[in-house]
Amino acid sequence: MAALTVIGVGSRLRGDDAIGPLLIDALSGLSHSQLELVDAGSDALGILEYFHGREHVIVVDACHMGHPAGYIVEFDPSQIDLVLKDDPISLHGLGLAESIQMAQSLHMLPTDLKIIGIEPESIQFSGSLSVPVQKALKKAIEIVEDKLNRVSQLAEA
Amino acid sequence: MSRDLDIKVHHLTRVEGHGNIVVNMKDGVLEKAHLSIVEPPRFFEAMMKGRSFHEAAIITSRICGICSLGHQLTSLVATEDALGLEISEQTVLLRKLLVHGATLQSNILHAYFLAAPDFLNVGSVFPLIATHKDVVLRALRMKRLANDIADIVSGRAVHPITPVPGGFSRIPEKAELLEIKRRLLEEALPDGLETIETMKSLAGAIPQFERETEYISLKHPDEYALYEGDIFSSDSGATSVHNYLDVTNEFIVNHSTSKHAKYNRDSYFVGALARWNNNHAQLGEEALAAAEAMGLKPNCYNPYMNTIAQVVEAVHCILDSVRIIDRLMEIGLKNEKPNQNPTRYGRGIGSNEVPRGILFHDYTYDNKGNIIKANCIIPTGQNLANIDADMMKLVPEIINKTKEEITLNLEMLVRAYDPCISCSVHMLEVDFIE
Repeated sequence: MAALTVIGVGSRLRGDDAIGPLLIDALSGLSHSQLELVDAGSDALGILEYFHGREHVIVVDACHMGHPAGYIVEFDPSQIDLVLKDDPISLHGLGLAESIQMAQSLHMLPTDLKIIGIEPESIQFSGSLSVPVQKALKKAIEIVEDKLNRVSQLAEA
Repeated sequence: MSRDLDIKVHHLTRVEGHGNIVVNMKDGVLEKAHLSIVEPPRFFEAMMKGRSFHEAAIITSRICGICSLGHQLTSLVATEDALGLEISEQTVLLRKLLVHGATLQSNILHAYFLAAPDFLNVGSVFPLIATHKDVVLRALRMKRLANDIADIVSGRAVHPITPVPGGFSRIPEKAELLEIKRRLLEEALPDGLETIETMKSLAGAIPQFERETEYISLKHPDEYALYEGDIFSSDSGATSVHNYLDVTNEFIVNHSTSKHAKYNRDSYFVGALARWNNNHAQLGEEALAAAEAMGLKPNCYNPYMNTIAQVVEAVHCILDSVRIIDRLMEIGLKNEKPNQNPTRYGRGIGSNEVPRGILFHDYTYDNKGNIIKANCIIPTGQNLANIDADMMKLVPEIINKTKEEITLNLEMLVRAYDPCISCSVHMLEVDFIE
């Protein structure tokens, strides 16, 4: 199994929400043997499948954090209060927060789970990223590459 | 009783104006009771225009992360209809297997993660993890198998890649399908039977409410229709999917950004309960026994029972998937190439039953194989008028309950339909611990 799993969450059709899948596209050029890439689309519950048996996992998603568009924050689940939707009217209401909470309660979280949150400018239907989020994409790639180097050195050691 | 009642439930405050329940009663007279929700593919036509027939299904599968397979298959059927592409029995069987996997996954998750918490009155699935961990793990186990079916047959669990116009770009291995069959029988079937027991124990909490309406689904002469068939109305019988616009009759209402639909009456019902009412006689004995055990009878007019019909379908999907794999083994897997040689260019209609009900895609191609016109009508849009009509009947019947109880009953009603809100809600909202 690869040393690092990167999961991109989001819809390619919804403006800056595409940041997760687009990061996966960008990273696929690396074709690094220690890197597993997952485009989870917008089925957030699906990410649970990729927590199973993994140690180092990064989830990349557009996040509303109250920062300017394009702002990147890397955090782990213990650093945040997950804002859960207690009364989803549909399966579509089970998002990343709910999936992480569920994994936590079921003791399914990878030992090292990091979330790279990128503040979107707009998640309206549109085929392209906003300029601030395009810049953030480059920075997010560097964060993942850096992590990949560290994790693969650990794996080889 | 003369009463004032004012309920506004903003489920998705982040997505303004969408997914709200509004009820307004003055002096005992119900003035308003409705749901407003976004209809996802409003931009559908613009997005599809100019795209080649190779691209259409890839794009539409990304409309929605949860409904991706449904959009993809319906899109392929529409394209094949427009371009005159014949497909093989093997392709049809593999697609039906995909439909069963997707239906199993969606129905089970809806029953366990949305409906069960209501029936147990615990608010959400999270308290269940502490009290009923085995049940939550069972749901996730069934989801995993459904995911693996999608992975093996379509190349990827989310946004499948191998189903293409005219067939599949890659055929699964015999051994992979036999392993799925083993897991269906040894894992999913026992889990499905346990699910029936769980739902049976919760059945007492299902609200008793009936409103007979028009039920619309696909219907097929030889099987419980999910992948193919004619449009069937419980009021007026069958018509070809090519006449879908005569059935959907979309119209605009003031309170919703999304169009509503009506056929022979002011509203109609699509989804598992409609399929059950129209096609129950074509289910196998195990699925029929499951229905009986959970108290679902033919011609059920209680919308809350949609969840129970979904569980019955889950049992059907498990067993029919085994039958499909057996048939694939019988005819022998062939490494056939997809048929991508158009014999005509023009208009084509695709229709499948996706978990939430009947879905339509309608494309017109120019003679280079590029789309010049596209339309898509999703199940949730078709159900909206019916949800509103249910609310108008339900509120006066439960008016003696507290405002909180009435609100919960209305939320449960909406959840029973499991409306699609276009994946707009997955985005993480983060509060950092100071």
